[in-house]
Amino acid sequence: MISDLSRLRNIGISAHIDSGKTTLTERVLFYTQRIHRIQEVRGKEGSGATMDYMELERERGITITSAATHCAWKGYQVNIIDTPGHVDFTIEVERSLRVLDGAILVLCGVAGVQSQSMTVDRQMRRYRVPRLAFVNKLDRSGADPRRVASQLRDKLGLNAVLMQLPIGLEADHRGVIDLVTMKALDFEGANGENVVEGEIPQELRHEAEAARETMLDVVSMFSDELTEAILEERVTEDLIRAAVRRGTLALELTPVFLGSAYKNKGVQPLLDAVTHYLPDPTQVENTAVDLSNDEAPIALSADPQKPLVCLAFKLEEGRYGQLTYLRVYQGTLARGANIVNSRTKKKHKVGRLVRMHADEMEEIEGTGAGDIVAIFGIECASGDTFTDGSVDVAMSSMHVPAPVISLSVKPKDNKAQANFSKAIGRFVREDPTFRSHVDEESGETVISGMGELHLDVYVERMKREYSVEVQTGAPQVAYRETVSQRADFNYTHKKQTGGSGQFGRVAGYLEPVAEEGKDFEFANEVRGGAIPTEFIPAVEKGFVSGLEKGRLIGFPVTGLRVVINDGQAHSVDSSDMAFQAAARGAFRETYSKARPIILEPVMKLAVESPTEFQGAVLKTIMQRRGTIVGTTEEAGFCLVEAEVPLAEMFGYATDLRSVTQGKAEFTMEFARYLPVPAEVTKELKEKYASQVKGDDE
Amino acid sequence: MDRRYLNARSPLRLLEKGLHGGLGRGNLGLVLSGPGVGKTSFLVGVALDDLLRGEAVLHVTLGHTVSHVRAYYDTLFDDLAATTRLEDLAVVHAKIDKLRRIRAYPPDSFDAKRLREALALEAEAGSRPALVVVDGLDPASARPDAVRAWAELAKQAELEIWISASLDQERIEAVPASLRGVESCFGVILALEPAPGAVALRALKDHDNPNVSDLHVSLDPKTLLLVRS
Repeated sequence: MISDLSRLRNIGISAHIDSGKTTLTERVLFYTQRIHRIQEVRGKEGSGATMDYMELERERGITITSAATHCAWKGYQVNIIDTPGHVDFTIEVERSLRVLDGAILVLCGVAGVQSQSMTVDRQMRRYRVPRLAFVNKLDRSGADPRRVASQLRDKLGLNAVLMQLPIGLEADHRGVIDLVTMKALDFEGANGENVVEGEIPQELRHEAEAARETMLDVVSMFSDELTEAILEERVTEDLIRAAVRRGTLALELTPVFLGSAYKNKGVQPLLDAVTHYLPDPTQVENTAVDLSNDEAPIALSADPQKPLVCLAFKLEEGRYGQLTYLRVYQGTLARGANIVNSRTKKKHKVGRLVRMHADEMEEIEGTGAGDIVAIFGIECASGDTFTDGSVDVAMSSMHVPAPVISLSVKPKDNKAQANFSKAIGRFVREDPTFRSHVDEESGETVISGMGELHLDVYVERMKREYSVEVQTGAPQVAYRETVSQRADFNYTHKKQTGGSGQFGRVAGYLEPVAEEGKDFEFANEVRGGAIPTEFIPAVEKGFVSGLEKGRLIGFPVTGLRVVINDGQAHSVDSSDMAFQAAARGAFRETYSKARPIILEPVMKLAVESPTEFQGAVLKTIMQRRGTIVGTTEEAGFCLVEAEVPLAEMFGYATDLRSVTQGKAEFTMEFARYLPVPAEVTKELKEKYASQVKGDDE
Repeated sequence: MDRRYLNARSPLRLLEKGLHGGLGRGNLGLVLSGPGVGKTSFLVGVALDDLLRGEAVLHVTLGHTVSHVRAYYDTLFDDLAATTRLEDLAVVHAKIDKLRRIRAYPPDSFDAKRLREALALEAEAGSRPALVVVDGLDPASARPDAVRAWAELAKQAELEIWISASLDQERIEAVPASLRGVESCFGVILALEPAPGAVALRALKDHDNPNVSDLHVSLDPKTLLLVRS
């Protein structure tokens, strides 16, 4: 049990892919003595870094799963969530940010603020996560921490201030100068474990004093006391730290720290900074929604005496069984207690309660508000809320985007069917952006998600973790259909020849919904009982059944509003079935009059490349029906931002590589749905027509 | 949709009446103001005017990010749309997005030569702008030869080029000393000044019109559109 919440930190480490985030985490665990040997990320010893424990991640040198790990530093408890860096996995990043109180934004000292850093920063802003910046890789040639700090200001609009200066850069990088204590820090010993404090080297003295002055200037904005102390020349370390902390917590200041995790420089001072400047759980405002009061928001407080509220933010099925990671927001969670899932209302008994350290763990008896722990053997979905049953609340729902791409999959070997189902079941539980369904017509399993790589990774995991080799179909873009104008209907369904008859008439109109993002709206404006009230739900059902498959290209119809305002019933022959059929008929007949259009997912694309390839990069976007938003040129590099239909993005990585000699990289995330241009609409319709015809034959 | 109405509140409408038909292709225009008065909004307004007429525009920003500039356009467009009855908003917006290219450069690394290169790249990627706006130039670095290079490029490429420059003072009585001697390079020079509840836009130079003193209008401080009387 953590008794003093002011000594608890829940932090994430977020960064652009390849900024050295996993290496940094590894060093943190080493210095906090959670691990006793340093392993390199790319598996030099064949084992990979401890946090990077999934085999696939090890192979690709990237981190996909956020594993929570616990460590202690100078009397502080620190829970670290290792967040994935690739855009296709942003849901994991976002879910992690939700449970964090603070974060370290890792930046490459050479590449600086990259497109992914911008995405991550935007996410942190959305969840109001205070952050420190760590400029890594100062041992690399071309490293320039001042440039990175100015990019933090210019590109991300952060009030970034250097808290340290480097002692030597590139091959000469050996330590940092702490501008608060005005001491030089060297990192000695085989693994840099001995932090040696010394005098600032003479040649850097002047520069350090100037940098300290700049730092004080920025930081004093957050403390009148410090401002006074500066004037009276009695500045103390505590005064500076208090001011930096205040600015950081208010999200108005981003202190910048320096080093090279790979060369074991600067990691321990960064840990000190986490304890000095990032918030403890009581300093972060968390709200839940009250399910018994129309989802009104209610504030939670990190008080162990109050009713329990915790969030299952991550599920994992490892070699120990099904693990659920929980963040406790309020109250106390203890072994043997009963907890209730707010979504299913099911009661569960807390069996084993553990603190995780990558894939090792430590059994605990209980824990209080603010902590992050894992429990065993509880069936639930990611994002579920648990309480002690005395309150009916849920943590506000997290923004989960709809999938934009799908892929049909089937096991190559029929015997693997059981494992195949098990794998899919688990992935769906773990990742809300990953979905699966069985296509009624083809009988095939179709998985859908947020991008090509997202689905690729799951196909790989099936092979590695479940020994299921799967055959995949061509990736399919999740188009949508919608109507673009109002169209009236007046439809009679009539079958009254012999036996019990069927009769129903519905009249009204279809139109686009006014509210953006709303899928379907049904309004009953029938007056005087023209359609008896008991049949209205059947009418709605009839329309809903038509939404599943639009008549343009067979994709779901969204953004539709149906209004019924008249109709007719027969005292004997009208039934639910008859009115459902009437509604289906009305929809079938009217849809084409409402000028239906096709919508396609459009991705936000960012390509970074050396300037000389700019023309080539722009061309790859134009060839893909892309809209170029803008280009940023800087010091030999350019960043092209664009919006491109997902349908045109297959194989982009290969094309980009070939026109830029492999020197460009790109990130992509879903932006929005936009109408498909006329010529593409024609193509899609023709394709659909031939498909339907093919099915009939 | 009625674009005429949308455009009717553009400050350019009034200036076009007074000024000899606006800036015109082949000419270089300059807008001066103190910091934070609204140069960017003004230039975005000028650009939006052309975009709504279906002309391609290149927006060069020195100091802002691409997404920042884009947000300016989206906000101004939304403001216009909210006060104007427009149909097919999404279609018009998408069209504008296609016609507009934004390029960001670090401050003090941009000149006519870089613009020439940029135009070549954009042409390669299918965009031939009629209007270029360059936002955030440092007037101190606007040496006579640099200004002449801008004017020459405008003429040669038959472009309308608007440049904005920030001055240290709020009141702008005349063309700043650093630009005297090259005034002839500019077709139009405008000044933006804060006024009570509005922004005053005044012409300091209008082609060869000797009498510019009565060319002034009041603009909404938020949108930099004409204040409706």
